[in-house]
Amino acid sequence: MNTKLKVSEISKIYPGCVANDKVSLEFGSGKIYALLGENGAGKSTLVKILSGVVKPDEGQVFLNNESIKLNSPLDAKKNNIGMVFQHFNLFETLSVFENLSIDSDKNDEDLRVLVNDILKKYNFKIDLDIPVLNLSAGQKQKVEIIRCLIRNPKVLIMDEPTSVLTEQETDDLFISLKQFSKDGILIIYITHKLKEVLSLCDEVAVMRKGKVVSVSNTIDEKIESLANKMVGENLNTIKKKINNFKNSEEILKISNLNFKSDDPYETNLNNLNLSLKKGECLGIAGISGNGQNELFQILSGEIITEGTSIKFRNKEIGKLNPRERREYLMAFSPEDRISQAAVPELKIYENVALNNFKSSNFFEKGLVNERKIKEHSKKILSNFSVNTDNVELKSQFLSGGNLQKLIIGRELITSPELLVCFNPTWGLDVGAINYIHETLIQINEQGKSSILISTDNDELLKLSDRICVIYKGKLSKIMNADTVTAEKLGILMGGGSID
Amino acid sequence: MSFDLNFIGILIGAIMASSVPLILAASGELITERSGVLNLGVEGMMIIGAISGFALMVITDNLFLAVIGSMLSGLIISIIFGLLTQSLLTNHVATGLALTIFGIGMSAMIGKNFVGIPGKEFPLLFINLKENVPFLGPILFGHSIILYFAFLLPFLTNYFLKKTKIGLIIRAVGDSPTSASNQGINVTLVRYSCILYGGAMCGLAGAYLSLIYTPQWIENMTGGRGWIALALVVFATWSPIKVLIGALIFGGITILQLHMQAVGLRIPVQLLSALPYIMTIIVLVVISRDSRKIKLNTPTSLGQIFYKEK
Repeated sequence: MNTKLKVSEISKIYPGCVANDKVSLEFGSGKIYALLGENGAGKSTLVKILSGVVKPDEGQVFLNNESIKLNSPLDAKKNNIGMVFQHFNLFETLSVFENLSIDSDKNDEDLRVLVNDILKKYNFKIDLDIPVLNLSAGQKQKVEIIRCLIRNPKVLIMDEPTSVLTEQETDDLFISLKQFSKDGILIIYITHKLKEVLSLCDEVAVMRKGKVVSVSNTIDEKIESLANKMVGENLNTIKKKINNFKNSEEILKISNLNFKSDDPYETNLNNLNLSLKKGECLGIAGISGNGQNELFQILSGEIITEGTSIKFRNKEIGKLNPRERREYLMAFSPEDRISQAAVPELKIYENVALNNFKSSNFFEKGLVNERKIKEHSKKILSNFSVNTDNVELKSQFLSGGNLQKLIIGRELITSPELLVCFNPTWGLDVGAINYIHETLIQINEQGKSSILISTDNDELLKLSDRICVIYKGKLSKIMNADTVTAEKLGILMGGGSID
Repeated sequence: MSFDLNFIGILIGAIMASSVPLILAASGELITERSGVLNLGVEGMMIIGAISGFALMVITDNLFLAVIGSMLSGLIISIIFGLLTQSLLTNHVATGLALTIFGIGMSAMIGKNFVGIPGKEFPLLFINLKENVPFLGPILFGHSIILYFAFLLPFLTNYFLKKTKIGLIIRAVGDSPTSASNQGINVTLVRYSCILYGGAMCGLAGAYLSLIYTPQWIENMTGGRGWIALALVVFATWSPIKVLIGALIFGGITILQLHMQAVGLRIPVQLLSALPYIMTIIVLVVISRDSRKIKLNTPTSLGQIFYKEK
């Protein structure tokens, strides 16, 4: 069974942005295709068009040389195009089986047989009768994939599937995808991760600013060549100097910290111990949902603990709230930029004022000193190369990368002694990631400390001086970064042990 | 006052009758909310149902037409809510409040000519058995067909939501309208249907009041029952069976405290009147405190406006 999929001269224009500009591509079954590009390059728009979620302004899609109309997701299903979105389209409160049966026209018994066959064939292990919210991200993704497989897809589109997966889950996914490809399913793999393109895909199309800039065989490409095509300029690679902190002053110490939550969906923390020296970066790795959220909140003061368990510059700060901790020169960059770090409906300068309530410059006699805040904000925008100089702009109109630069800038401009970041480059493109990484290295060079909680192992290995892994609310032994490899982290993240 | 078995039977029968409007309205609203729509217009839809039922009864002299008409009028007024929130994407809360205010005003206007007209006797089933079977007679027999329907409804609703495909689709829409839409489900259609169903049930609840419970028209005769029904849905954590329990407790304590007032207990009347509200909330909070179950039953998208990307 040969499948040919062709998109021809597809254009889609949103107000103020050309998402797809005459995109033409051809795909054939038996191969895995990568669609590579930075955030905002137009990949997601293209796949939304292919899955019938968005209608193109111009252009056509051909399946096996026949023009097909994709006016709704139903049309895509009818044409056997399956799609796994980056943000899962699952119903969290329904059971796995209910999620699968909702869009199937088979009766429950037949469907169960079919699903069990698929589970067996691809060696997936998922309990069909538990609610989806109890599954890990990797399992949720499998449910999405099974949902597509039920319909015998000719085409399977994966939109940035590994952004939520662990290394092990990623490996499993790649094995499955290769198997699907062998079974004759045409696979289009959307990503901005270069390594994955090289290890998984046969052909790669690079998109930039809505246009296809290159189509080539992955054999002819290297990480650098792809990166440069994707960004459109030469990126300099950054390296961190490994330092010795034996004689440095200790800045933060957490001893025997426990946290027990009433919410069954939160993770309890057990007997955490760690210390941090001046100028050092401590990386905390782990699969999301193993207590990172709770640990970040304990560090930031969103969760208050016993006073004695956390010492910062020899003061007990466990009972202090986030504002009071900021006064002791701690700074925080939470994981969720939109709902935790910034208020999207507020203007840039208003967001800048938010973490500086105490600053006498900003507020006088209870009134807002707009002029001073705006000056200060302008400084952040230019110092941290945010892509606008308009402080009146609502924060929601900044791209993820620019918003992150603004948030990090807002935190760093007060020259804190410690910056705690949680997944600071989550979902950002190569250019923005590079910038954030440079900034984080810079603050260590200036003798300031940082804690980096991240699910991205490459990032941790690149930036940390010491690394530990959090698993089910417990910290592993803290290791020097130069002795750690991605494999070791992978084992610890999965609950294994190394020696 | 004697506490013989038959009296207790009659008391339970009365409690059941008084909880019928709550069960009907709350079951309807539960379906609406399960699809992610928060319609605060329950009180308004109920009172419109009450006046239209009564007016139709007076005009046509046909109780069947009156009951059907009350359901239709509840449904029609809920179309307004549907149009505003689903097609014009207005805020659910504000629109629902407006609907209640509109319903109360509208019913008072229509009802002017119907004040003081006596109602018609509604046929009650198994009247013989009611009088001949001690204790169980007044509980099980001698009620209107609507009461039997009301007590069946939570179980039907439960089965419908858990076991049928349409029920599954409604829960899916309430969980994540975006995902549902991406699966090719017509979210707007599902939500419209649930709104209309909720409207019809509220209309029926109103008709029960004006045709059966107190067969006459009095301005504002729903007296806040719509709000209680709304609260029941939330405190019952969107579970139909718990709605039934909550409605019975509320009805029960309402009747009991009336008796306590009549007996002349030395408890302030105000406290006794407040008792049903307090007890219902306490009981429902206690029986619904399993946070895992709450999470599974709560429609995640409740009150969120949904629009399709073009």
